[in-house]
Amino acid sequence: MQLMPDEIIVFTIGGFGFNETIVYTWVVMAILTGSSIIITRNLRPDVPPNRWRTALEVIVTVIQGQIEDIARHASRHVLYFSGTLFLFIATSNLLLVVPGFSPPTASLSTTAALALSVLIAVPLFGISTKGLGGYLKSYTQPSVIMLPFNIISEFSWGLSLSIRLYGNVMSGAVIAGILLGLAPFFFPVVMDALGLLTGLIQAYIFAVLATVYISLATTKPGEPIKKEQS
Amino acid sequence: MSTDWVTVIAQVANFLVLVWLLKRFLYKPILNGIDAREAEIADRMSEAERAKTKAAAAEAEFVARKQRLQVEDAAIVDAVHKEAQRQRDTLLAEARQKLELEQRDWRAHLEREQQKFTAELYRAGADTLYQLVRKALHDLADESLEERIVLHVTVQLKSMASELLAAAGNSETAVAITHTALPDGARATLTRELQALLPDVPLRFVKDEHQAPGLILRIGSAQLAWTVDSYTEEMADLLSERLATGGLGRVAGNDR
Repeated sequence: MQLMPDEIIVFTIGGFGFNETIVYTWVVMAILTGSSIIITRNLRPDVPPNRWRTALEVIVTVIQGQIEDIARHASRHVLYFSGTLFLFIATSNLLLVVPGFSPPTASLSTTAALALSVLIAVPLFGISTKGLGGYLKSYTQPSVIMLPFNIISEFSWGLSLSIRLYGNVMSGAVIAGILLGLAPFFFPVVMDALGLLTGLIQAYIFAVLATVYISLATTKPGEPIKKEQS
Repeated sequence: MSTDWVTVIAQVANFLVLVWLLKRFLYKPILNGIDAREAEIADRMSEAERAKTKAAAAEAEFVARKQRLQVEDAAIVDAVHKEAQRQRDTLLAEARQKLELEQRDWRAHLEREQQKFTAELYRAGADTLYQLVRKALHDLADESLEERIVLHVTVQLKSMASELLAAAGNSETAVAITHTALPDGARATLTRELQALLPDVPLRFVKDEHQAPGLILRIGSAQLAWTVDSYTEEMADLLSERLATGGLGRVAGNDR
């Protein structure tokens, strides 16, 4: 039983092997981008919205609403980041039902990359909002003694994010593999249905946690809730 | 479980590219479209609000104009009623005046007709009375009424000789007027008797059908009349009295 798609090389160019994780990530990217281009190509005020455009608007506005409920600084940059996280993870997990498709999120490299992205994005959002001095000063809050703990906390939640996503996605695959050996004709269907549910939940949790971390990094103490449009 | 850091870096890059792609082809078009639609809806709502305000103003103007028209209508109707009342009063007054004039004319005409009828009745009565008396006198006594009248006149003239002389004055002629022509004998008798009283005044005979039956002698300013007029008036009085009593009562003095 192959558990890590990183180890499967699909093709090689110039001595560099492109594994399943990267290739299927491109597939997901192509699906998301292609569908977005097709749906939004005739997006003009004088053209009435069709059902696909309406569905897309619902998805985007729901994501934006969730972010606005969580973050104090609900800028569009947060939407771009957290929304892409959700759509990428959700699409990858939903494609689990496609025979032969290996979700990129089942790779620890992908989850680590997403966690690393969050880890890098949080200080960038914080610096863009508070300024470099203001953001670094937040590590000494409420006192200088808390500096090492804040640094450890900063890295630990990034690690926990990646492990949580990987563990949940992989657990489904591992459980499915075990149960496949016990009852090969019944359990795979149930596990696929369960995988769809847990995949959406994981995508939601990952995006919400990322938004929470960004919100914490961009919020000044005692600052009232404010929504920005950029 | 192992981590391929090359794959991690590649996935980070893939993720960043995906963020840019979705920002370019999903979020911006969708959100800008929503914003544009919201702006369009806001414009339409504001336009609808302006139209509503305009409609409200038009409605208020319409109501005010309607009220003005109602007031003007009431004034016009009141004026028309007053004018109609005035014209009605005028027409009624004219009708009353015309009716009064027609009634007056009618009464005058009726009175004239009554006078004419009465005069004709008198004349016819007098003529009938004269003819009856004349016929009765001729049939019963073989006498001519004209001759008897002339004889009666001659007797009366003798008793009035002095008054006749005074009345005659410088008169050059005397006129005897009768309804019908007098018989020759009667003419001769009257001429002889008058010549005896007034020798210088010749007598002339005149027939006047409008004159009542009898004899009228005119000398100067004096006039002596022996006609049936008084009898005719008496007969009219008797007839009136009889009609007043319903035609059943007996006329006073009729038993003589």
